Parts: sequence; C-alpha cells; structure tokens
Amino acid sequence: MSAALAQLTSHGTDRRTAADDWRARHHGAVIGYVGADVPVEYITAAGLLPLRLSGSPGTPSTAGDRYLGTGLDPVARSVLTRLLDHDFGPLDGIVVSRDCEASLRLFYALRELRRVDLASALPPVHLVDVLHLPHRTTTRYVRAKLRQLRATVETWAGRSIDDAALADAIAVHERLRDLLTRVAALRRLRPARLTGAQALSVVAATTALPADRATALLEELLTEADLLPEHEGHRVFVTGSPHDTAHVYTALEDAGLLVVGEDHDWGDLLSLRRTAAPTEDALAERYQYNGPTAPRASIRDRAEHTRRAAQDCGAEALVCYARVHDDAPRWDYPAQRAATGLPSVLLSRQPYGALDDEAVQALTGLRPHAAVAR
Amino acid sequence: MNARLASASAATAYQRQWFADLRKEAAQGGDLALVNADAPQEIFRTMGIPYVVNQWWSSIVTAKRRAQDYLGLLAERGYPDDSEQYSSIPLASAFDPDPADAPWGGLPRPTIVLAETTGDVSRKIFDIWDTQPGVSFYPLESAAENDVPTRWWELMPRDWEQAVGSDRLDLMTGELEGLIRFLEQTTGRVFSETRFAEVMDLVNEQQEWNRRTRDLIARARPCPLPVNDSIPSVMIPQWHRGTVWARDAARAFHDEVAERVSAGTAVCPGERARLMWIGRGLWFDLDFYRRFEESHGAVFVWSMYLAIAADGYLRYGGDPLRALAARFAAFSDQLYTPPWSAEWYVKEARHHGVDGVVHLVSEDARGSYFTTRALEAAGIPVLELHADNVDARSADGDALTRTVGDWLERRVHAGD
Ligand code: SF4
Ligand code: SF4
Repeated sequence: MSAALAQLTSHGTDRRTAADDWRARHHGAVIGYVGADVPVEYITAAGLLPLRLSGSPGTPSTAGDRYLGTGLDPVARSVLTRLLDHDFGPLDGIVVSRDCEASLRLFYALRELRRVDLASALPPVHLVDVLHLPHRTTTRYVRAKLRQLRATVETWAGRSIDDAALADAIAVHERLRDLLTRVAALRRLRPARLTGAQALSVVAATTALPADRATALLEELLTEADLLPEHEGHRVFVTGSPHDTAHVYTALEDAGLLVVGEDHDWGDLLSLRRTAAPTEDALAERYQYNGPTAPRASIRDRAEHTRRAAQDCGAEALVCYARVHDDAPRWDYPAQRAATGLPSVLLSRQPYGALDDEAVQALTGLRPHAAVAR
Repeated sequence: MNARLASASAATAYQRQWFADLRKEAAQGGDLALVNADAPQEIFRTMGIPYVVNQWWSSIVTAKRRAQDYLGLLAERGYPDDSEQYSSIPLASAFDPDPADAPWGGLPRPTIVLAETTGDVSRKIFDIWDTQPGVSFYPLESAAENDVPTRWWELMPRDWEQAVGSDRLDLMTGELEGLIRFLEQTTGRVFSETRFAEVMDLVNEQQEWNRRTRDLIARARPCPLPVNDSIPSVMIPQWHRGTVWARDAARAFHDEVAERVSAGTAVCPGERARLMWIGRGLWFDLDFYRRFEESHGAVFVWSMYLAIAADGYLRYGGDPLRALAARFAAFSDQLYTPPWSAEWYVKEARHHGVDGVVHLVSEDARGSYFTTRALEAAGIPVLELHADNVDARSADGDALTRTVGDWLERRVHAGD
C-alpha cells in the first residue's frame, strides 16, 4: 500500500495521534470542533490545531445518554461521552456548529454542564450559529457569528488574528479542498484506485491533521496513484446520515458494493463548496452556502444535488442509510429516489456504525446477480 | 369540584364557530395560512389573513382518532410516519382521499404555509406542502445564541434586546420584513403599522391577564381548579391572540378563577401536597391528574400552558416589529433550553410553593436532565416518568399510579 495512504487512513481512524503529536512537539493548543459548519480557518489562522470530534460506535455512551436522552442521534451522545472521558486528550476549547439538531443539543449540554459545574475539566465551549437560508439577512447574521468566533479564538490563542493570517489560512484550506476533490476522483476511476472506506478515512484524516501536513500527504498520495491497487464492485452512491467512522462503508463494501460517492460532510460534501476570495465576507458566504446537507437543506436542493453527484460518480445504485434518530434523510429519500432514477434502497433506523440484518438483506436486492466481490 | 369552567366552554364554542366561518371563507377562494405554533402569527392577524395553527389541527385530528389514518397517508407516499408526527399529521390532510369525512369538516387547503427551520425535519414537512398545487412555503430562520443571561423572565417584557441578543433580533427583524413584503405581494393585502400596534397591545393585555391568573393560582391555598381545566381557557385564546375576543377571554378566565379563590373553592379540600407537572399532557388519561387527591391529598397546581402564557409572550417598548421578533426568536428556548428552562421551572416551582414535581421525560428529552437536576438542587423532590412507561399503548395505569403513590409517600409526605 502507498505510504501516504497508510498514514492518511491511520490518522483518519486514530484521530487523536496527530493532536498528541502537536501538543508534544509544538506545545500547541488543540481545539475540538463539531460539524462541518465550523469555520476551521480561524483556528488554523490563530496557530491552533482544529480536531474534528467523532464518536465511537462500539463504546457505550452512558454519560451522553444521561445528559442528552436516548432519543438523539447516537453520534452526539457518543461525542459527549468521549469528551467527558477525555478521550480526545486535553482540549483548549470546543467549537460546536449548528450543522444539525443533535449538535445544537450537544452544545447546550456542554454549556450547562460547565455552568452548573457537573463535569470536571471541560474546556470552554463556543457555538458558531452558521445558518443556511439563501438570503442576504442570513449572510449578515453569519458574518456576525464569524466575527464572534474570531474573537473567541483570539482569546483562546492569546493573540489576534490579522487579516493576512486569515487569508493565508483560507488559502491553505482551499488547497486542501482542491486536493480532496482530486483524490475523490481516484475512487471513480474504472477500476477504482480507492475504496469508499479508504476515501472516507482520507477525508477524516484531513480533519485531524494540521492543514499543511494533510496537504503534503494528499499530494504524495496523488503522485502514487498509479501504484494503488484496483478495486471492483457494484458502484453505489451513499446518501443519508453522515459517517464519522468507516464501519458502515466497510460493511457495504464487504457485501460486494463499491461506494463511489456520497453527499454527507464526512465525505465528498466536505470539500465541495469553495471560498470565492480570501476575506471574512467570502468565508461567511462559503459557510452559509455549505451543503446541501440532509438536516439543513430543502428536499428539492438535496434531490437535485444527489441526482447530479450520483451521475457524476457513475453510480449504478443509490443507498440511503438513515441512522436511528437521524430523521431528515428519510424525508429526503422519496424525492432523491425519483430524481436519480437509480435502483435504490432505504436502510431505516440503522444502529450507529453498523447495518442491521434487515439492511444486509435489503442490499442483496441491489446487487445484480453477476456482481463479483472484490 | 368538577364543574367545567364557563371560560373553557365559551372558548371551545368560539373555536367551533371560528373554524366554520374560516371554512366558508376559504371555500370562496380566500387566502389561508397554515402556520407553526411558534411562528409570528401577529403579522397575519394584522393583515387580516386567516390562519390555522399546524399543531392545533394536529391535536384535533388526534382527538378524533384519525392520526393513524393520516400517518398512513404519509407512509403510502414513502414518508416517515414516526418522525415529528405532531407537525406532520396536518400535511396528510392534503392527501386525504375523503376530506368530507375529516374532523370538523376538514382543513381547507392553505395557500401559504409558514414555519421556522427548527430541528432537522420541520422544514422538510413544509417543503412537501410547497409541492402541493397552490401552496407556497415561506421558511424563517431559527437562530441560537452562544451565551444568554439566565433569568430571562425578568428581562423579556422590557429588556428583550438583552435577553435575546442583537444579532438574532437583527436577523429575525429582517426575516419579518421579508415575510411582510411576501404577503403584501401574494395576497394584495396591506400591513398597517397602526393596526399592528393595536395587535401588539392586545397581545400584551391578554398575557397580562394570564399573568394575573397564574399569580392568583400560585398564591391560592387551596388550589381553586384542576390543572388541566385551565388548558382550553388559556390555549384557545392564545391561537386568537391579537383580537379583542382573545383579550376578553383571558380576562373572563381570570375573573372566574378570582371568584373561585375568593369563595374558597378547593379542588381538593384535604390539600396536603402541591404538585407541578412538567412535560406534555397525558392526553390519554386526563383523570390521572386527579387520582392522588383522595388517597394522598396531592393536587397538581401547575402545568406549562398557563405559566408560559404568563411569562413567555410579554414584549413592551422599542420598534414593534423588533419586539415581535423578540417574542418568537427564542420562544421554545424558554421551555426547553438550559439554563433558561431549568432555572424557570425552579422559579415557578418556588412561586407556586410546590412540594414535588412529576416530570414526564420524553425520549426526545430536550434539557430534561438539567431541569430535574436544578429542581433537586433547589430541594424540590422530582419523580421522572419516562415516556416509554406512560405511552398510551404500553401504559399500565395501575403501575403508574403505584409509582406516583410510592413517591408521594416516600419523598413528598416524608418531608411534611
Ligand atoms: S506532523 Fe505536524 S504536528 Fe506533527 S510534528 Fe510535524 S508539523 Fe508538528
Ligand atoms: S379530597 Fe377527595 S373526596 Fe375530598 S373533595 Fe377532593 S377529591 Fe373529593
């Protein structure tokens, strides 16, 4: 396997390693963040390391269940549990976005736990309320929220973020998005040079590593592309809930499918939207128009995006994976199915990080008789 | 003490007549809005655009035992029948093959639907409305604040700018301006500032009556009325807020309660324990609230409906449109988001001198843990009932009664 790919997939999975390294070698601060609506550019610009927080499907989320109730997306419950267990190592701050309802509830729980002093040693928490309606009023609001985040990050970093540093950080993260787009193309080749699970881990690595390190590894991976092994499988496009770990993709690919694309923001959607200029105003628009994600976009926008993206990927089928207590995908699905016109399947109320038996059964209907496992 | 409140009967009769009139008007091709409960209905009132509250219609369909049929109509179209049903049931009215057979003659097809983009699903339900012929959806942002002052109920009436935050108010005021322009263009009706000021004054007057009623009940010993009897007297006028009728209905309710207090009327003459009920109502078993009067002298004196009317709506001063933005921008935070929710329940528990709290925790437990914790920290015993135990299908009424009875003996009376 390519050395770069091995390093990337390892950082995508062992998400804490890069942060530990950063702390040890640079005495640098690490800021945990929740959701792709957090403008990480500010954290990078302040010389801090942004670490996107993920859950742990196999581990019980007892503390998270207690504070959030069991009726919420298990990812948020798992992230809260891991935070309380100091699973991410010492964090110097947490930024939470409003990318979905579960993230907002997670923020409220963290804020209240700090206020009533229930949990020891939770770092300071900040909500960045990026909203998405396509209106000028929303742009102005998002700009105000970005300025507010900037001030908070400056306090945490103990230094100000000047416009030049912000422009540099925007450039670095844009470069990362360009590279991710090129890497994503490797899984759409025939035969594919990356599996869906590998592609997902690569994207995940870029939200755990310092941006310049992630950039260097992606460049290396691209130069080694011809040496990567080839993968075959029934080419599917995954819509529905986001996947913060590769468990489900691995299960899908073990069943003979090949995930060639997706429309959630732990995958292709993360790098889709670009920043038009290296300015705070452009950054506000970038995050306002980020998406379209299931919990935030209209049914119409989602269906149109899914149709186009699935077509661009050369997908032969559509799989909608809807995690338990993540309800938006199920409302999107009828229009997505109609828009793509592909053979499709809805996997409802799936357990976190896994497929239930019914789902495995349903998937066999998708795969044409002749399909060969990898 | 079981005589129904005259104000409740009057409100129910008014609602029937209002809906019949609304159906007639809609049949002649008039505009009709369907709006979510926490939407800025005052704008429709000001412009004279009739509206139906989505969740009210849902409660009617449910009360007439048609909810399952309606959810089935959604499932037939591939939509979930187990996701935000309270908001989605009215959507199924649009797909009803036999609308003449629907409750109350059926919901006329709206021309405008309005909702905030709260949660992950609510806007999707309205997206589907938007695909129905002749229906337009106007979505409003729903914003959240990083840092809020805790004692919102003290600030909201006049210092709402501080309570809600200027960024949110700038956004919501902009949203309302957009909504007004949209309504002017689509309905041809005008938005008169003079009329709007009247509407805002009437709403404040109505909620002042609710506040006096709440305070009366908080101070009264013994408790003058069963807790669920107050719900129609508060909620029906709430859907009509901004009208003279609604303001006067709130006053009539107040006067009726005042009369009972001065007559020394008691729900439970042997009152030994005053209880607070937090969470949605146990609609399938309303008698539940009265089951502990005889056995334990325990009477429920509080539910959120009157209390949120008393504290949640008043907005004085400033630009009226901004004041309206301040009314709905953070409305549900008042009930469900800590620290606001937790501290408010403690304040209300103390105000009513309750001896214990029964807290119905749904699976979708918004802030519940922190509410229970805050009450217990304030020295108020809390019994949490979990929704899966009290679901109409699984409810074992006797077990529930035993649980509450045991708790009363162990924790509430023990502290006598
Ligand atoms: S990879 Fe990054 S964090 Fe690790 S030592 Fe190098 S520069 Fe520092
Ligand atoms: S205490 Fe019991 S018996 Fe007496 S009035 Fe109340 S309900 Fe009736």
